[in-house]
Amino acid sequence: MSKFLEEALILEQREVAQQTYRLRLRAGRMAEAACAGQFFMLQVREGMDPLLRRPFSFHRIHPGEGNIEVLYRVVGRGTWWLSRCAPQTRLNLLGPLGNGFQLPRNAGSPVAIVAGGIGIAPLCELIHRLLASRGTLEARDIHLFYGARSAGELLPESDLEDLGISVYRGTDDGSLGYDGFVTDLFRKTAEEKHIKPSVLYACGPLAMQYHVARWALEHRVPSQLSLESLMACGIGACLGCALPASAPAGSTADHYVHVCKDGPIFGAESIQWHKIQTHGAPPPIFLYS
Amino acid sequence: MAQNPDARGAAPDLSVQLGPLRLRNPVMVASGTFGYGEEYADFLDLTQLGAVVVKGISLAPRPGNPPPRLVETAAGMINAIGLENVGVDVFLESKLPYLRDRHVPVIVNIFGNTLEEYAELAARLDGVPGIVALEINISCPNVKSGGMIFGTDPAMAARVVDAVRRSTTLPLITKLTPNVTHIGEIARAAVGAGSDMLSCINTVAAMAVDIFTRRPKLANIFGGLSGPAVKPIALRCTYEVLQAVDCPVIGIGGIATATDALEFLLLGARAVQVGTANFIQPAVTAEILRGMELFLRVQKLQSVEEYIGTLDRQCLFPFAEIACGMTDLP
Ligand SMILES: Cc1cc2nc3c(=O)[nH]c(=O)nc-3n(C[C@H](O)[C@H](O)[C@H](O)COP(=O)(O)OP(=O)(O)OC[C@H]3O[C@@H](n4cnc5c(N)ncnc54)[C@H](O)[C@@H]3O)c2cc1C
Ligand SMILES: Cc1cc2nc3c(=O)[nH]c(=O)nc-3n(C[C@H](O)[C@H](O)[C@H](O)COP(=O)(O)O)c2cc1C
Ligand code: FES
Repeated sequence: MSKFLEEALILEQREVAQQTYRLRLRAGRMAEAACAGQFFMLQVREGMDPLLRRPFSFHRIHPGEGNIEVLYRVVGRGTWWLSRCAPQTRLNLLGPLGNGFQLPRNAGSPVAIVAGGIGIAPLCELIHRLLASRGTLEARDIHLFYGARSAGELLPESDLEDLGISVYRGTDDGSLGYDGFVTDLFRKTAEEKHIKPSVLYACGPLAMQYHVARWALEHRVPSQLSLESLMACGIGACLGCALPASAPAGSTADHYVHVCKDGPIFGAESIQWHKIQTHGAPPPIFLYS
Repeated sequence: MAQNPDARGAAPDLSVQLGPLRLRNPVMVASGTFGYGEEYADFLDLTQLGAVVVKGISLAPRPGNPPPRLVETAAGMINAIGLENVGVDVFLESKLPYLRDRHVPVIVNIFGNTLEEYAELAARLDGVPGIVALEINISCPNVKSGGMIFGTDPAMAARVVDAVRRSTTLPLITKLTPNVTHIGEIARAAVGAGSDMLSCINTVAAMAVDIFTRRPKLANIFGGLSGPAVKPIALRCTYEVLQAVDCPVIGIGGIATATDALEFLLLGARAVQVGTANFIQPAVTAEILRGMELFLRVQKLQSVEEYIGTLDRQCLFPFAEIACGMTDLP
């Protein structure tokens, strides 16, 4: 699959949740070529600060209209600059990159989707693709477990509930829905409602993905987890985006996968989770200075 | 954009002679920032490049360092990749043919833990079609054994170059580290031991920390700084090296525009390598070449060789022209 550079134009930028923006971009070639779960590298600003491009998922892809949508959270310099960009601003995109989600082969059986915070971004396009190609699968058999730190960080209800899928919401601070981590919400609900998904999709912080991976491995459910890493090039040249992977043929030697070219979607079994050191919570406040 | 009238006429000759090596132009891509070339083929006609310096190769494959391996800093980035590479066998079988088939001159960046490993690598690459030179990496800050120590001690640097020199007839480039007090000494040692050329600089030893987690931002704690932030250091190092030795020097460090590249050539570097800038603009080298050609036309120079090393070392106050003839003032 070939990748390319495209000059995109901001059509609309809207704050849709706390520190969370939805950007609609005119990018005809990208919209034509991209699949759900892929990503692109965005140059937030010309100049030297921020220097590197930033990776973002395709939140929605509208090939017919020549548009794509990006959902992003302001966490640092790059995303802060992006949030200041007005309509008509031009942004350079490099993509589409990565492997993307596979739709389930067994079209009739239920699927579970776990989204943590801004991890909802690529899962929205996935949900639309599932709905479009679902065969005998009822919309309500698409179970979305969607959590964030606090109520203000969740996308508004109508955005997802209107699709007719089963949505379960939760917040770490209990300000909306289930009081606790989304992985606990998922574990509990799946047990109580006897949800036996044929595939488990997830996107969110690594600490969350670890718990999703454990569930998937325990229950022998195939999983597709969209993972993150810090990236410089996005195209497999810098080798910066490594994650510890299960070594081939059971070897115990260090072995790494590269999120930009081997992923960003991985099965739970392909990562050596115990070798990833994460520090859990993101910064409590965002300082721009 | 309207064409500058001075900019018309015959295309200037961009080819350069680097010791035993002749290149169609002085713009190469730096090791570790261009993969094995294939990664960039969607964005750039690789045959436009003076040469491709591939990711550092060792005898056995290396997995590299644990993540996080990189972090962005002001106008730069720090990496601690740890020389992850496929090893020389896979390189020769499945990476080199791609570049060779496209007739791109390939410079192989080599790295070993011991003198013997350097020598064996050089021997394995000797006479392989498509490879035009070896770049000896004695300067990587990200590996525990070997690496840095070879590049910071003149005697050790000389022994590595000597070992490689005995094992190959290929032109040799020794890549220097800026993380020393006197880069000229290392340069002299490398050339004394048979290096045909020098390249400088590798990344600058650096560190980044997180005030919230109160931890280093790289698993390796230290890494190597690259990008626009290091250009002034790279220019100083290149200048010092040019003062110390009489051999072709390749300038590296923070080059992102034609102006940046021309600054190194002005000092006397006969070629440049572009690194981190490839990550941001995959076709940046093509733009640099276009800018360089335009500059030479505007300057009415027929070749880049006429421009190389023409620095006037006397620095004047920026408004000197206005100040002239004001001697009658008190
Ligand atoms: C494949 C992929 C797809 C992504 N898709 C989206 C998306 O659709 N929407 C979205 O909001 N974000 C997405 N991200 C994360 C996004 O790239 C980062 O939030 C962004 O690069 C931060 O840039 P910054 O300059 O604002 O932050 P910086 O100033 O660079 O960093 C500020 C803070 O953000 C953290 N951070 C930086 N980069 C990442 C990263 N890649 N992942 C997690 N934390 C990071 C840093 O560790 C630091 O704590 C994606 C990341 C990847 C790898
Ligand atoms: C991600 C990355 C990987 C690198 N890997 C190597 C390497 O394998 N061998 C080497 O000699 N230099 C390596 N370097 C150093 C570059 O070749 C170059 O010397 C340095 O980045 C400075 O140039 P720049 O500022 O243009 O990037 C690497 C640099 C980066 C950023
Ligand atoms: S981001 Fe450069 S290899 Fe993945």
